Amino acid sequence: MMRNATRATILFAILGGLLVGFIVLPLLRTLTATSLRGLILALQDPQLQRSLAVTFGGAALATTIGLLTAVPLAYLLARRRFRGRGLVEAVVMLPVIVPHTAAGVALLLVFGRYGLMGQAFARVGVSFTDTVAGIVLAMLFVSAPFLVSASREAFALVDTEIERVALSDGASPLQAFWHVTFPLARRGILAGALMMWARGISEFGAVVILAYHPKVMTVLVYERLQGFGLQAALPATAVLIGVALIAIGVLRGVLGVQRESTTG
Amino acid sequence: MLRRRLRRAHALCLVGVWLAACAPASPTPAAPAADPSAPSGDERTPLVVFAAGSLIVPFAELEAAYEAKHPAIDVRPEYHGSIQVIRHATELHEPIDVVATADASLLPMLMFQVEDPATGTPYAEWACSFAGNRLALAYTDRSLYTEEIDSQNWPEILARPEVLLGLADPRFDASGYRAMMALALAERWSGEFGLFNQVFEGQFTYPVRIFREDSLSTITVPEVLETRSEAHLRMRGGSIQLLALLESGDIDYAFEYESVIRQHGLRMLQLPLPVDLSDEAYRDQYAQAVVELDFQRFASVEPRFIGEPIAYGITIPSTAPHPQEAEKFIAFLLGPEGRAVMQADQHPVLPSPLAMGWEAMPVSLQPLCAGVGGP
Repeated sequence: MMRNATRATILFAILGGLLVGFIVLPLLRTLTATSLRGLILALQDPQLQRSLAVTFGGAALATTIGLLTAVPLAYLLARRRFRGRGLVEAVVMLPVIVPHTAAGVALLLVFGRYGLMGQAFARVGVSFTDTVAGIVLAMLFVSAPFLVSASREAFALVDTEIERVALSDGASPLQAFWHVTFPLARRGILAGALMMWARGISEFGAVVILAYHPKVMTVLVYERLQGFGLQAALPATAVLIGVALIAIGVLRGVLGVQRESTTG
Repeated sequence: MLRRRLRRAHALCLVGVWLAACAPASPTPAAPAADPSAPSGDERTPLVVFAAGSLIVPFAELEAAYEAKHPAIDVRPEYHGSIQVIRHATELHEPIDVVATADASLLPMLMFQVEDPATGTPYAEWACSFAGNRLALAYTDRSLYTEEIDSQNWPEILARPEVLLGLADPRFDASGYRAMMALALAERWSGEFGLFNQVFEGQFTYPVRIFREDSLSTITVPEVLETRSEAHLRMRGGSIQLLALLESGDIDYAFEYESVIRQHGLRMLQLPLPVDLSDEAYRDQYAQAVVELDFQRFASVEPRFIGEPIAYGITIPSTAPHPQEAEKFIAFLLGPEGRAVMQADQHPVLPSPLAMGWEAMPVSLQPLCAGVGGP
């Protein structure tokens, strides 16, 4: 019996190990193919610096808008039973399934110069083609589902009894949310925000259609690979992978802290 | 329980990432329906054709016609800016059977002079110019100043800050540097030596410079070319990427080839013959505009493009996995059937294709493409 279990463990470890190796090897190869000097030079490159600023800043702005809109929506989805809730959940998850080039085309139709929203925003001097606003929009569209999903899960974990106690002690629903539910769910929301930010950084398809310029990191990597070759694209690629590693490390840290605090 | 749900949330996020990563990064043109009598894709010999974006419409039909005639061949076309087409072979070392560019002179510059490190032989030793074209301005009914624009005042209209102008990146696409040449030639033709700067000054982070001499205007494109946030110029890697922006109304005008404009049913402003790079009679005048790419970091060659009548070039890279099949495909293109497809799609073919490096050409293609000063 025990022997069978060990065999199963070994078999699963081999199969799982293949997948882990498949993920790790290309990433590691990219990092090792880039010299430290090349990486330092790349980080001093003004174009890359601008691109990093636009990418990280754009994703941060998208995440901020996400926090203001996705978190209230996630709360409703977690706490309220209403007609069409399933439909709303499905709609919010759609950007994960819709190919991102298709998302870019759809956004261009609505937020382009003659699109419904494009025309409305043009009246206040905001345009979305080849602007940071367009980048933020594309990032927001494709990455918001991650924040909604994570926040909804986080709210669902908060005991409704604690909220009820706050309400019976005289707190308004908004006060109960702000002082009780949100703080208890904040680590899950933070993890979702981090996922959303990281997903925004890695977006290519939707951004490249709406705003080729100013170039975000993924567009810059694509342009350098297409236009100048592998060696030219490597340092920028390594920087992107480095950021992803840091993001996943922080994400695990956030989740780890929550695990300890909720189970310990 | 709590821990399990957290893990579930985390896993959901990661599944989402995976799903998102599966989304295609770039669209590929739809392949025509396969001949039902043809063998399945697995059995067919793949023929990888990398071509200039402006060939996308005729080459899609060429693919269908060729596959119908040769059911054992699976033509796999991929379209980019012409310089990118070549770099896929020479820098990214992709196995490509046929390379077709919108500028034949790129082939000697970027393939004859560059050696494959694996074999020490050049990436190509011959090329055949097979088609022409004409540079023009594409626009739509919604574009600004359509009632006003004509073959005289177009540079002035394009320079207006509220007019959004589409330009292919001159570092990657022949239509990009040809658009710059057209403005330099328009200056010489009209005698108004400020038109180029009116359109391009203040548009880029690092400026594109023009240096004028008696019989030569030299344009220098910096290695890093990106538009400024307040620019009215919209730049894309290839000219065909501008078509969607035209159709959505997000640009007013774009430099495009006449064949592409006609294929997409867009409105067209013909540029004057001394400017549109179409007429052999103006060869000497066209040569007065030169574009230099100021590449220092990324490329081993420093490309210099001299204005000349537009000629599309085709070759078989020395690294082609299926050179014999590539030969047959090019013979089909240069022959009556291929020429008929091109003409049906309003892409002008050269009356007699012209070869560079004729003696190095495959023997089967030599009768179809005359040598420069040769037979």
